[in-house]
Amino acid sequence: MNAYITGIGWITVDSKGCGREHTHFSMPGGQLAEIKASDIAAELYPNFRRLDAYSRLGLAAVAFALRDAGLDQWEAKRDIGIIVSTVYGCLGTDVDYYMTVIPEGGSNASPALFSYTSANSFLGEAAIYFGLTGTGFAFAEQHPTGLAALQAGLVKLFREDSGQLLAGVCDIGCPPLFNQPASVPAGAVFFMLEKSRGRKAQSYGQLHLSGSDPLRFNDNPVTDLTTLVQQCLDFRL
Amino acid sequence: MELRRQPRLQLAWHCRHNRALMSLLKDFNHVKSYRHRNGLREFRAYQGLKMSKSANNESRQVVIMDMAAVTALGNNLEELWQGLVAGRSGIGPVTRFSVDGYAAKIVAAIDDLSASGGRSMLHELLDRLLSQMGPVPPDAFLITATLKAGIDNLQSICRGRPADFQDVLLSSLCDIVGRKLGLTGSGMTISATCASSTIALAHGAALIDAGRADAVLVCCAEMITEYAFAGFSSLKALSLVACRPFDRDRNGLSLGEGAAGLLLMSAARARRENRTHLGTILGWGISNDATHITAPAKSGQGLVQAINRALTTAHRKAEEICAVNAHGTGTVYNDLMELTAFRQVFGNRRLPVYSVKGAIGHTLGVAGAVETIVGVKTLATGTVPPTAGFVHPENGAENLVSCEPQTVSGDCLLTTNSGFGGVNAVLIIGK
Repeated sequence: MNAYITGIGWITVDSKGCGREHTHFSMPGGQLAEIKASDIAAELYPNFRRLDAYSRLGLAAVAFALRDAGLDQWEAKRDIGIIVSTVYGCLGTDVDYYMTVIPEGGSNASPALFSYTSANSFLGEAAIYFGLTGTGFAFAEQHPTGLAALQAGLVKLFREDSGQLLAGVCDIGCPPLFNQPASVPAGAVFFMLEKSRGRKAQSYGQLHLSGSDPLRFNDNPVTDLTTLVQQCLDFRL
Repeated sequence: MELRRQPRLQLAWHCRHNRALMSLLKDFNHVKSYRHRNGLREFRAYQGLKMSKSANNESRQVVIMDMAAVTALGNNLEELWQGLVAGRSGIGPVTRFSVDGYAAKIVAAIDDLSASGGRSMLHELLDRLLSQMGPVPPDAFLITATLKAGIDNLQSICRGRPADFQDVLLSSLCDIVGRKLGLTGSGMTISATCASSTIALAHGAALIDAGRADAVLVCCAEMITEYAFAGFSSLKALSLVACRPFDRDRNGLSLGEGAAGLLLMSAARARRENRTHLGTILGWGISNDATHITAPAKSGQGLVQAINRALTTAHRKAEEICAVNAHGTGTVYNDLMELTAFRQVFGNRRLPVYSVKGAIGHTLGVAGAVETIVGVKTLATGTVPPTAGFVHPENGAENLVSCEPQTVSGDCLLTTNSGFGGVNAVLIIGK
């Protein structure tokens, strides 16, 4: 199972944008800056202002990855999927929503917030905004490595006709209510994976998955997500 | 270059000169790893793979070895099946929390499910499920599915009561199941609204198909909580009476809860272990409507796309599908969308279409797994269960949906789920 990485987009505490705009990548802990529609030129997308913080983060990183791959503009819907790995998902939105349920015995529960209480909600938003009709799901790894979404993406591409899929991670952090140390840094990173280079897309290199072997990038074992992004940026140079 | 033009001759040469290669070619997994280790030889081995395509397809076939379910119709699969065939409904008054503030007051709850010691009800639900399952290979890859995991504990914490935070995380389902079964590997929890467990089964099948695993345990669990009840109530999606899928008088869904488990294996491993399978997963397809965040695309385009993908994966034609286990939530828009999609795929064929949600409610992230299990039973018994609550057919549901059991002959059926975020997921189940 092989796929070319043709685009990378991210939002971290350190930086945000497309892979081809940067030479360095890191994913430190800390607080993310607020994400605005103008960050991804989504001012005309009416849903953006209604999105929860988790969805804004995910949608913005997906937007950067698509732009980096030259796939952000579209006229007809495309068979492109999205797979995201997350630890906390929309936990913050869960809390915000349930706080509207507690008073008045549930009669004031917010339908707007409830609509975003699924870890895959932003995949639907990205699908609408960018016309993506492919496979889509969110998942949580039992022992987070940050790489499982890429592995799942390659397995999916093995059988997909179109051969284009976004895979990445998205986490906004653990809500303060739970008083838990963050187990993963806040931020989102997405990779545009393409099975072939039929549209002459520029590639950062090739991911490879075989049998039960670990993930490889340009024939080297992939150790972690941050290193992989940096290797992509270095390889392009 | 000459060698590349003569791959089969190359293979023959290799087979004559390399006994090891010949034995490797008998196993798809080994062929693939051989391909990746050997540069130019990769191509030759691949041709060998093509030559024995049918044998390899058979070895990567995904078989269902074990299955179990806990629903409002009972704590085991047999009670579920007997209840469905008898047309019983497990939908009744809510007793777990106050519903004074809500118009709807019914759910399909499991009897006597409770939490203790700050732990989520998930633990007891999973105990009931796993007690029904046979031995699970310790090396099985674990995929769990849920929409909200131990959301009852989030409710408690928000109300200032002590509760275990770990149960709130999506990954808690993996942790609990893995611990209870002593599984040695890592796992993942898929969350994709009402299609969560369908996608979990599709991903498990894809892992086996791709040679990443040869045993996968899929476990799903979902509970009725005020959290979900209030949410669907706020969207005005809850029916005031037991839901009535595909009925022209339907007015919403009834929430349900449950747990389901399916052990998947490659046919090759099942054969090696001399085990008999209960059914097969022949094909899978997932798509997104890309239309609306909470409402389905009225045209059914996304569901049609997912069905067509599943048919392609299964190498089957629509004419071969003998029945459809529909999502059939009982909401006006979902059921209309499904009928529209089925018409596009099956034309005017009168194949049985049914929904179990009038009997066990909408179990959200568990729905697809329970419906897959029911699909396996349907194929095994040749009996399509009635759709509880169905009385007056919606336009287009005449001669498809029935309130009586129907007989069916055939070797594969379709099961479909759709959910928030525009997601559609389809499995083709075989005998």
